[in-house]
Amino acid sequence: MTDTGTPILRMVGITKTFPGVRALDNVTLEVLPQEVHGLVGENGAGKTTLMKILTGVYQADAGHIEFKGRPVQIPNPRAAQLLGIAIIHQELAVLPEMSVAENIFLGREPAGPLGTVRWDELYRQTQALLDRLGIDLPPRTRVGNLTIAQQQMVEIAKALSLEADLLVMDEPTSALTERETEILFRLIETLKAHGVSIIYISHRLEEIFQICDRVTVMRDGQHIDTRPIDQLTPQEVVRLMVGRRIKDIYPPPGKGRGPLKLEVRGLHRPPRLRHVSLKLYSGEILGLAGLVGSGRTDLARAIFGVDPVEAGEIWIDGQLATIRSPDDAMAQGMGLVPEDRKGQGLFLQMTVRQNTVIARLKELSRWGFIDFRRAEAETRRFVEELDIRTPSLEQLVHNLSGGNQQKVVIARWLGRAPSILILDEPTRGIDVGAKAEIHTLMRQLADDGMAILMISSELPEVLGVSDRILVMREGRMVAEFSREEATQDRIMAYATGAAQPAQEELAP
Amino acid sequence: MKRRFLFPALLLVMALIVSACAAPPPPQAAPAEEAAPAEGGEITLGLALSTLNNPFFVDLRDGAQAAADAAGVKLVVVDAQDDPGKQASAIEDLIQSKVSALLINPTDADAIVPSIEAANEAGIPVFTVDRSAAGGEVVSHIASDNVAGGRMAAEFLCNALGGEGKVVELEGIPGTSAARDRGKGFNEYMSENCPGIEIVARQTANFNRAEGLTVFENILQAQPEIDGVFAHNDEMILGAIEAAEAAGRADEIVFVGFDAIDDAIQAIKEGKLAATVAQQPGEMGRLAVETAVKYLNGEDVPEYIPVDLALVTAETLK
Amino acid sequence: MNRYSLGSILQRFGIAISFVLLCVALSLLSDRFLTLPNIVNVLRQITINGIIAVGMTYVILIAEIDLSVGSVLALTSIVTADMLQKGLPIPLAILIGLALGALLGAVNGVITAKFRVPSFITTLGMLTSARGAALLYTEGRPITGLPDGFRALGRGEVAGIPAPVLIAGVVFVLGWLILKRTQAGEYIYAIGNNPTAARLVGISIDRYRTLVFLVAGLLAALAGMILTARLNSAQPTAGVAFELDAIAAVVLGGTSFSGGVGGLGGTLLGALIIGVLDNGLNLLNISSLYEQLVKGAVIALALLIHRK
Repeated sequence: MTDTGTPILRMVGITKTFPGVRALDNVTLEVLPQEVHGLVGENGAGKTTLMKILTGVYQADAGHIEFKGRPVQIPNPRAAQLLGIAIIHQELAVLPEMSVAENIFLGREPAGPLGTVRWDELYRQTQALLDRLGIDLPPRTRVGNLTIAQQQMVEIAKALSLEADLLVMDEPTSALTERETEILFRLIETLKAHGVSIIYISHRLEEIFQICDRVTVMRDGQHIDTRPIDQLTPQEVVRLMVGRRIKDIYPPPGKGRGPLKLEVRGLHRPPRLRHVSLKLYSGEILGLAGLVGSGRTDLARAIFGVDPVEAGEIWIDGQLATIRSPDDAMAQGMGLVPEDRKGQGLFLQMTVRQNTVIARLKELSRWGFIDFRRAEAETRRFVEELDIRTPSLEQLVHNLSGGNQQKVVIARWLGRAPSILILDEPTRGIDVGAKAEIHTLMRQLADDGMAILMISSELPEVLGVSDRILVMREGRMVAEFSREEATQDRIMAYATGAAQPAQEELAP
Repeated sequence: MKRRFLFPALLLVMALIVSACAAPPPPQAAPAEEAAPAEGGEITLGLALSTLNNPFFVDLRDGAQAAADAAGVKLVVVDAQDDPGKQASAIEDLIQSKVSALLINPTDADAIVPSIEAANEAGIPVFTVDRSAAGGEVVSHIASDNVAGGRMAAEFLCNALGGEGKVVELEGIPGTSAARDRGKGFNEYMSENCPGIEIVARQTANFNRAEGLTVFENILQAQPEIDGVFAHNDEMILGAIEAAEAAGRADEIVFVGFDAIDDAIQAIKEGKLAATVAQQPGEMGRLAVETAVKYLNGEDVPEYIPVDLALVTAETLK
Repeated sequence: MNRYSLGSILQRFGIAISFVLLCVALSLLSDRFLTLPNIVNVLRQITINGIIAVGMTYVILIAEIDLSVGSVLALTSIVTADMLQKGLPIPLAILIGLALGALLGAVNGVITAKFRVPSFITTLGMLTSARGAALLYTEGRPITGLPDGFRALGRGEVAGIPAPVLIAGVVFVLGWLILKRTQAGEYIYAIGNNPTAARLVGISIDRYRTLVFLVAGLLAALAGMILTARLNSAQPTAGVAFELDAIAAVVLGGTSFSGGVGGLGGTLLGALIIGVLDNGLNLLNISSLYEQLVKGAVIALALLIHRK
């Protein structure tokens, strides 16, 4: 691929701010004609936001976009489609009850004089399109019967039928097998040959090196570098992704760990969990790193009894524990702060008090009647201890800021004085101040003897807070580091698969 | 996946059990094939009833059977259990077995039309009984004369009150022919022959006993003086009687109902209800069969054959 | 909880305003409306819908629906009346009827909770089955003539307050206490708000779903006792479309179909509006041809006011 062509896409000086967060800061992205352009960066680096601006989902606060040499406005996804920009999302958007042909030509079916669909023509056009792309699928098949890979092909065909010149693929291989990935790559080559440019987002570096012509690296909402792939090594890409940044302020390390509290042996729930084992000690914060989808959340849910497992044992204080529901886990002294605060943690239309004491009503009730004086006193205690900013205890949680909402969820569990606390992305989407408070709190709890398992996608957080760090990749535990040995590069290398689990990196 | 089918299957089983218990096949309901085709001058009539789960239609069937026996014709009875679909297929069977004429008591005035049209095509004359049909060619409709029944009730109430007083009318479901005709006869008679009677309230209680209770409770609140009540059916009048008794005003009021259901007869015996107008389903069945036989023998029959109603009072029950 | 949010306070006031406006209008149009006997009359009349609506409020609060209450009412009434006519002691017959209602409700609950059948479908099935069973049990005939002791349930009075009003009052107070003062009530709101989160704090969602349907069935049966006592007759066709009046009362009262928001205060006002409206239409002797139109218009108006 030559660098001489005029770029098909230029995004220049793109800046986007969300309340309290600068998601994109003066980002530039250039894609050449007939190029497969890799876009890499950690979770939260701004890739997704940038693509949402490109496809009209968000509007940039500053910067401009040129497409095929002309400045363009993309006020909505429809406008992007008309320009010839298409995106294949990680979560496929096919209609499972409809046929391949109907999915591809949805809303644009060839119509007869009375507005009826001309089915023969529809199937003929679909077959022609699939043939041209070398996709081997019968047009009449119900899409719900296809594999994920085949459904993805349908989406790609649909994008191409809309005459897309630029195709964005967001983690297209996350649900594919190796063989399916090979087929996808061949299709990408075909697309290139047809003159289509592709922005390829992936965490899997080996794929980036296999398929991409050039790579753009993003970090913390900034453009870091764009280079032809042959001028890079995987190690360099990881270094660029992780970078060196201003050291956040994290609490000092703890007093050291106590006895073994929780032992997980061979938890198995494929495809997301494959014979996972871990040990968690009292008084320590164990960080669990890995990419989104690597099985970290699935592990937390399995330990907490939310999802049933196919195999595996959970031992607590040296006793085999039977945990079939969150209720069982709670009885064993566990607590779980889930990753999706609004979807899984909070009762948004209920008050701060109700949200805080919901998990301990048994203890706060007599004959089933809630002792409101105690419930309020307990809530007030945590509102003060955790500095939850709310006008009153009877405020709807819905009206609180993200950080205060998260503190409410944490307070809910602290009230039960658990001996094991699992926190899944405890500081996602909350401001820096609240973040530091939560980190300090976690350290205090650990020092008081609690065993804490923290899942985080933010490497600085993992490195700054954890006493020990585990890395998961594709449902497996692939590495363990002590606080001292861990670096962002090393964690990232294992999380992306740039480094394979081998004896030398594993902690004793 | 399996459990998705469990509940529907359960329902199906329940439905089967219920329908099996609810419909012990009446002795006459021989399979249609066994009903000998009308050959050699022998007349076979098909009687398609909406339901046999109601004594009214059982009486109707018995009347029809007696008339058929007397006339020496064969009668095949089918029961639709109030299911229009079931009725349609039962009539189809009757048409297939080439009955001489069809007597239909429709489950639904509109749903029955295709069946009547099918009979028309097959050249089988159709008579409707009790309920009419919304279309198709019908030789004759045999039904109670609800207008006359309404007049009968009015006459009784007028005499009972000595030609003077305040009367309440509890109406049936608005838009039904029974409610329309019964109200029409009642009000016509009152305005023509009984000027001393004032209708002080006219409200619907939808042929329903519970609504008869509450609506009449409300009317009792609105009207300090009520001398008589006419309800378009017995269910409503029985509800009204409960309301009046609870309010301690039952003794001041003369109650007249319609239909002569068992509870109403009992209420007349107990002296709570003054009168009710009885339809005569047996008579209806008899007239239906006789009309059909006449027609098949080449005689002219009128389009509408009213079936007389009878006033039931404490006197007539003795 | 809804007590404290500005929006829902407005909602609560909105429905109260609608109710007051309706009462003012009716008292201007009819001098009979605002009399003590008529007020007692209206209260007595709303007891049946009111009691059913308490159960329906619980069901809608957990984002489910119960279409079967009318049929359950009919079947339990029939069975109770039959037991009474067979000479069973009154309390035992009542107990059997209530237990049957609870059982039918529990069946709804178990099928909905354990087998993940949408409650719309489950209770639609129960609506048909229970009605069919009631018709079968009596061969379509009403059971009339019940002992005086039982009829006191409908006609009796304590200190001038009709027995049905007392019973409904107790049901409302208990229902309110459970909802606002107990662990179970808190869990019901939590499940309606966010079932996923409810499960993650250890609430046994299936158990509470089943319990809520059980309560709805039990209350439908209780309402059936009162109706039967008032009519001195149990009818297999009783309660047709009662579910619609109950749902109307609940929704008029501001309980959200998506669950988790609302309560019994609103439901009481909703039931009152429907009862007062029926009463007013009769007092004013509105022609039956206009009645439904007027009723629909007033309900729509009330809803509009409290959505403001």
